[in-house]
Amino acid sequence: MLGKLSIRNAKRQAKDYIIYFITVIISVALIFSFNSIAVSEDIKELSSVMENFSKSITGISIIVVLTIAWLINYTMKFMLEKRSKEFGTYEILGIEKKDISKMFTLENIIIGIIAFIIGVFFGIFLYQVLTLIIMNLFNQPYEIKITFSIMAVGMTAIYFFGIFLIVLLNCRRKIRKTKVYNLLYADKQNENNVIKNPKGNILIFIISIILIVCAVLINHKEFTDISDFTGRNMFIAITMLILGIYLFYISISSFIVKRYLDNKSRKYKKDNMFLYRNLTSKINTMSVTMGTIAFMFTIILIGGNVALLLNNMLNNEIEMGYPFEIMMSIPENDFSKYKEYINQNVKVKDMYEYRLYNVYNTNVRKALDDTVFEERCYDDIDKVMMFSDYNKLREMLGYEKVHLKDDEIIIQTLKTAEAAFKNYTNKNDKIKIADIEFKIKEIRTENLSQINFNGYTYIIIVPDNLIDIVKKQDSKIISKDTDNNSITNVEQDNEENNTKIGYFDFGYKLVVTTYETTDEKFYEELSELIEKKEIPMTSEVRGEDQQFNIQYPLGEVYTRGYRIGQVKSMYAIISFLAFYVALIFVMATATLLAIQQLNDSEKYKYRYELLKKLGMDELQMNRIILKQLFFYFALPMLLPFVVCIPVILSVGSIFTIAVTMKEIITNICIIYGLFVLVYGIYFIATDVQFTRNIEEIG
Amino acid sequence: MEKILKVEKIQKYYGNKDNITKALDQISFDVDEGEFIGIMGASGSGKTTLLNCISTIDNVSSGHIYLGNQDITEIKEADIAKFRRENLGFIFQDFNLLDTLTMEENIALILTINKIPEKEIDTKIKDIAKKLGIENILNKYPYQVSGGQKQRTAACRAIVNSPKIILADEPTGSLDSKSAKQLLEIMEDMNKNMKATILMVTHDTFTASYCSKILFLKDGKIFNKIEKGEKQRKDFYNEILDVLALLGGDARDVR
Repeated sequence: MLGKLSIRNAKRQAKDYIIYFITVIISVALIFSFNSIAVSEDIKELSSVMENFSKSITGISIIVVLTIAWLINYTMKFMLEKRSKEFGTYEILGIEKKDISKMFTLENIIIGIIAFIIGVFFGIFLYQVLTLIIMNLFNQPYEIKITFSIMAVGMTAIYFFGIFLIVLLNCRRKIRKTKVYNLLYADKQNENNVIKNPKGNILIFIISIILIVCAVLINHKEFTDISDFTGRNMFIAITMLILGIYLFYISISSFIVKRYLDNKSRKYKKDNMFLYRNLTSKINTMSVTMGTIAFMFTIILIGGNVALLLNNMLNNEIEMGYPFEIMMSIPENDFSKYKEYINQNVKVKDMYEYRLYNVYNTNVRKALDDTVFEERCYDDIDKVMMFSDYNKLREMLGYEKVHLKDDEIIIQTLKTAEAAFKNYTNKNDKIKIADIEFKIKEIRTENLSQINFNGYTYIIIVPDNLIDIVKKQDSKIISKDTDNNSITNVEQDNEENNTKIGYFDFGYKLVVTTYETTDEKFYEELSELIEKKEIPMTSEVRGEDQQFNIQYPLGEVYTRGYRIGQVKSMYAIISFLAFYVALIFVMATATLLAIQQLNDSEKYKYRYELLKKLGMDELQMNRIILKQLFFYFALPMLLPFVVCIPVILSVGSIFTIAVTMKEIITNICIIYGLFVLVYGIYFIATDVQFTRNIEEIG
Repeated sequence: MEKILKVEKIQKYYGNKDNITKALDQISFDVDEGEFIGIMGASGSGKTTLLNCISTIDNVSSGHIYLGNQDITEIKEADIAKFRRENLGFIFQDFNLLDTLTMEENIALILTINKIPEKEIDTKIKDIAKKLGIENILNKYPYQVSGGQKQRTAACRAIVNSPKIILADEPTGSLDSKSAKQLLEIMEDMNKNMKATILMVTHDTFTASYCSKILFLKDGKIFNKIEKGEKQRKDFYNEILDVLALLGGDARDVR
């Protein structure tokens, strides 16, 4: 009997249930498709980096499961509230509470199972689409095939039914505890403000602001002083931020509402009273919901920006660091075997060998004090390049020739470090190399691989006639050690000077431009040609010194093609995960707001009906609706928009090696713009629908 | 006495060509300023339809209704809301108070809709609430008070804006007899001391006995009209009963 009643009721309320049903289906489909990707062999085989991809998807599932749990919880509670009158009536008719909650459970389990099956079905298609996108990113052919991973289904089932049961138990408890009166009159009651005392409210507001500011400051310190980065501090900052956001919204909504309702002349002005009372009637639900939505927006905004930053950095790194298809450095002047391999395996356009030298104490590095580049260059040793080599490299890359007088030098650097050097040369445009004074002619920032090939961050271009002096300086630093095949371990040689130049100096360079791109195999085989040297190392393990040898390659190979492949995988992972999380969050918030609107417009219908009877005209009503929705939509956006800017700037500071400030700001504008666009469309759509619902009156 | 409401030969039809129901059939009457007029009749006699037409919620099929000098059957759709809020006060059977607003705010609502300056609103409410004896519940919400208190608040809301006429639709319909009596005394007070013109629809004899004049409707037509004049309410009550007995059916209906 109860079963029949329950099914009939579910049918009658199909319209309300549809949103609930769709929410559950989408949730299942998303969990399933991403689980499928996590266990997919096709994806793992794509590249060695993709192993991490699967791992991070599993990790991020935790966030997703929590979000979906929240969403299902909200939807189920909404259904419960909608049907509270019905349940109250049953109770009056003498049906036991036990049976009512049993009925509600039964209904939900049926819905859950049906939704799960449909969700998995949709998930299979979604998985195919996502795989196709990933495969396309890697230029791999992929045929759509209906695969069905038992593992993915199992994981989805565990996630989904885990959430579902917890939420359901919570609702059952609620049904059992609620009194009949409250069931029958649930829709007539207003929520009471959690904090009744206005002073307490102000205190909470201040605490929330302090928490948020502290979180931003800790975050700033962590990212600008990256060497001290600890996960613990980050965790503290995130916890403070979350707490701050919630407290902010709990206090701000009652703050605003109080401001308008406690002062009579403000309250009675225009539509304020009706508007703010509508808001206070649901103040607790509203402030918690707003806090949650604001938190999600914060994640979307920061995540989106970080994804763009990483993307910028990876692209810039390739452009700045890999202008040539192949770049090699070795310690001695013999490229013959490498050239042979290169000529056999790739169509060479142009090839050039040259040498970089080291000079002492030019003080140019001071320009980079207190910048991210500080740690990336040596204290008193600078790399120099002969002017004729420089022009040859420029010619190979299609840059125009430059000219240099005998008493001038050029500083060639990364475009991200340009500002620091310009600052420096404005104050001092002279430098001394081996006690000869030169004028810094200009700072150039074409892409000539200053990341770690042609200098570290920058290189000094000197006139060709300086070669003998430079050579002399260079040999002072690099003493020949015949035992080590003329390879120099500079650190040991210069102990008394305290210079740290790393282990080896690979001064001889080879750059190649080609007609075709190279691949992973080419890179690996070319690297294989480089000799390895066994270096004895001493390391302390559990209090004892242990001796072991490490294999150290005597040379470096960089190929553009291989790097692009790697970057693509990383880009795929980052953008995919960012997209995934954003999708889940947007879906969750959108569904939530839709449910709220559906619920409210029905509830408000009566209120607006009365206003109409009392003689409020349509224009005025539309204005109130617009204001009310604006309040709902704009307030959760407010805090994330403000807080995210300093956070993004601090996070961005670790990217400034390869990303310019202009790019960081452009990113922020892009993400904010996109967000406002999507959100704005949703806002307008809601307003239109809401107004239409209200206009249906008589 | 100035005539505040003039109803001229109004008709209201429902249904199509073949099956017309005349809900109102050639009804005409006047209401003077300061009158407390009751409209009685059985269910289906057309009294609610009449009230709806006067309150601009429904349109007449033919005829005219004048409130003051304005023909309300000719008001444009766009101006109806403005007309309603400036000229009419309502008391509904089911109170129609907003659950989200306190009693005070429910009364203030009509004033804010009418764009009364904020500063005047508070004094106006305090003033009227004192007169109607509800000042101690002003800060309560509708679900915290009784039906009688809700209806008194609704009466307060109806008069606070000094409308030309107050329209009451079965105001005692949801109340117990004690609350009903209290409400009617308040309405009588509003009528006598605040010079409010009230048009009340009811089917309850006791409620109707508070009126100064009663129209009886039957099948969409005015069946009878009686005035209280200088009579005691008890006598007027008996008079109403007599008319209702007559109205209940013709002798030939009883077989």
